[in-house]
Amino acid sequence: MLEIENLHASVGGKEILKGISLTVKAGEVHAVMGPNGSGKSTLSYVLAGRAGYEVTQGSIRYQGKDLLSMNVEERASAGIFLGFQYPIEIPGVTSVTFLKAALNAQHKARGEEELDAVRFLKLVREKARPLNISDDMLKRALNVGFSGGEKKRAEILQMSLLEPSLAVLDETDSGLDIDALKVVAEGVNALRSPERAFILITHYQRLLDYIVPDRVHVLSQGRIMRSGGKELALELEQTGYAGFAA
Amino acid sequence: MADALRIFSEVYERERAALPGAQGWLGELRAKAVASLRESGLPHRRLETWRYTDLRRALDQSGFAEAPAHRGAVLKDAAAHAFDGIDAYTMVFVNGHFRPELSALAGLPLGMEVFSLKDVWDVHWVRAAVETSQQRLNAESAVSLNLALAHDGAAIRIGRNWNAQKALHLLHLSSDKGASHLRNVIMLEEGAEAAIFETHASAGVDDYFSNLVTHIDVGPNAKLTHVVFQGASRKSVLVSSSDIRLGRDARYAGNSLSVGAGLAREQSFVSFADKGGEADINVAAALRGTQHGDRYCFVDHEVPGCRSSVFFRAVLDGDAEGVFQGHALVRENAQKTDARQLANALLLSRGASMNAKPELEIYADDVQCAHGATIGELSEQSIFYLRSRGIDERTARGLLVTAFLDEVLERIPHEKARDSLKQIAQRWFGEAA
Repeated sequence: MLEIENLHASVGGKEILKGISLTVKAGEVHAVMGPNGSGKSTLSYVLAGRAGYEVTQGSIRYQGKDLLSMNVEERASAGIFLGFQYPIEIPGVTSVTFLKAALNAQHKARGEEELDAVRFLKLVREKARPLNISDDMLKRALNVGFSGGEKKRAEILQMSLLEPSLAVLDETDSGLDIDALKVVAEGVNALRSPERAFILITHYQRLLDYIVPDRVHVLSQGRIMRSGGKELALELEQTGYAGFAA
Repeated sequence: MADALRIFSEVYERERAALPGAQGWLGELRAKAVASLRESGLPHRRLETWRYTDLRRALDQSGFAEAPAHRGAVLKDAAAHAFDGIDAYTMVFVNGHFRPELSALAGLPLGMEVFSLKDVWDVHWVRAAVETSQQRLNAESAVSLNLALAHDGAAIRIGRNWNAQKALHLLHLSSDKGASHLRNVIMLEEGAEAAIFETHASAGVDDYFSNLVTHIDVGPNAKLTHVVFQGASRKSVLVSSSDIRLGRDARYAGNSLSVGAGLAREQSFVSFADKGGEADINVAAALRGTQHGDRYCFVDHEVPGCRSSVFFRAVLDGDAEGVFQGHALVRENAQKTDARQLANALLLSRGASMNAKPELEIYADDVQCAHGATIGELSEQSIFYLRSRGIDERTARGLLVTAFLDEVLERIPHEKARDSLKQIAQRWFGEAA
């Protein structure tokens, strides 16, 4: 599904990623862990195609295609979803309006039929229910005045509606209490399938108690220092990241 | 270059005998207005309240000062306009003159009196409105100019405790090159309720100057919803001045969307006659190219216990220039005043500019007042967020621009009028070349 090879990327002329190689197969859940400033968020933005995150070397292939030649919305329509660490507040655009615009834009880009208002609303309510997202919240401006937990649940709702092939979740656990974390984790687990892959970017092991990864990678100073199975996360919990300085 | 003031003076001398009310009080008032206009000249940037807009220069350069050749050229019907889908009585004016054959006033109820101003200048309530407005706004030379040359307009009176279910739409069209000076008098008697819509548009001509004055008197406990769509030609010059007077516990909800005119100055002067008055002025503007749009609001709190809110939002693209000047004056006696002024502008291009000057002048000590202004760009972060969900960049920008204006238009109390203006605002972004 995703093949990252020797990826170097800079932000504002400063090299942040210094040669990352990572292969993610369909159906797998990968956790990328690491200390602050290790390049975790940069990796997620490079995958999503954010301006200002410049790839200076290396390649990313996604479903056999050159990901780096695609713009942000093309990547989204091709099935890449980035769950934001800090979801952006969009005053004046209700969640419903936004979700409909996003879903129909992707359908259109893929040459699929657009949903009418009735079918769309039914679908959204269906997806919102298990995440405890009320109609009232859907009618409010996107993320405006949402609590930290509401914002993260709103991200999961977007993901569950857009049904991506590859979801990159950037610090989805940050700022969540344990109950909110469980709701979010259940939302993610419900979407796990043999066709879909996840990259969970996280600082703490805690999230991985609820979403069990197939592979764990330790990112430090722009490089993957170690990769292993889910037990690597537990080891990190004991030893911390101190041992991974370059 | 033409000297617009000289041309206006000549037009006045030529037409004065034919203007309504030439012999009586109105003729005298017109003569005074002309004298004051000749003394002060047309508004220019050395006046504090006009510091960002040079009307004199715009009129000198445009050559729009001459009277139009026709009072209203052949016009079979009024083309599609903003509030078309709404069931409303309609008065159509062409070049400042009422056109009954284009209007729709059949079935007016007893409680709504609607006249062509040229027929009723001498009626007591019209005369009182014209005289008091002139006292209040005697320093405004555009208002004096209007008084000097106005023939016609709408004179509307909503009777005591009458709740006008059906709205009234004033459609102001320009069909010939030149200047027109239209005057409206809108009066709500005690306890009356009404919705009045206004549209400013071109009917096939670009080169014109439209100079309107609207007197609005909202009586005790009365409630007026006023919704204006300003879609004048993008070459035209438009000045619209409103003198708004509120009685005890009266409510005025003024809402507008301006997308038109090459140079526009829209100004409101709000005052309170008694306690408990509430005035909300919500302004949305969307300008591009070389358009210049200036919104001025003066709110005079001279009595205690009134509330005013001015909320302005502009989106500016190309080399457009936006201006907001708001001034709330809270006099010594006006305790328990609640006065707010807020201006937000969104610049979509390097060439666009905005001048915002919300101002509070407070002499009372027990008041709640606030003012603020922001000028910014679309957030790249927000655009990235929307794009990351598959929405293309242009659509993402359009969503954000529309949302920005919607927050003002959302406040229009009349649902259908609100939807009409929201649709226009939504289309505006898509119209960019």
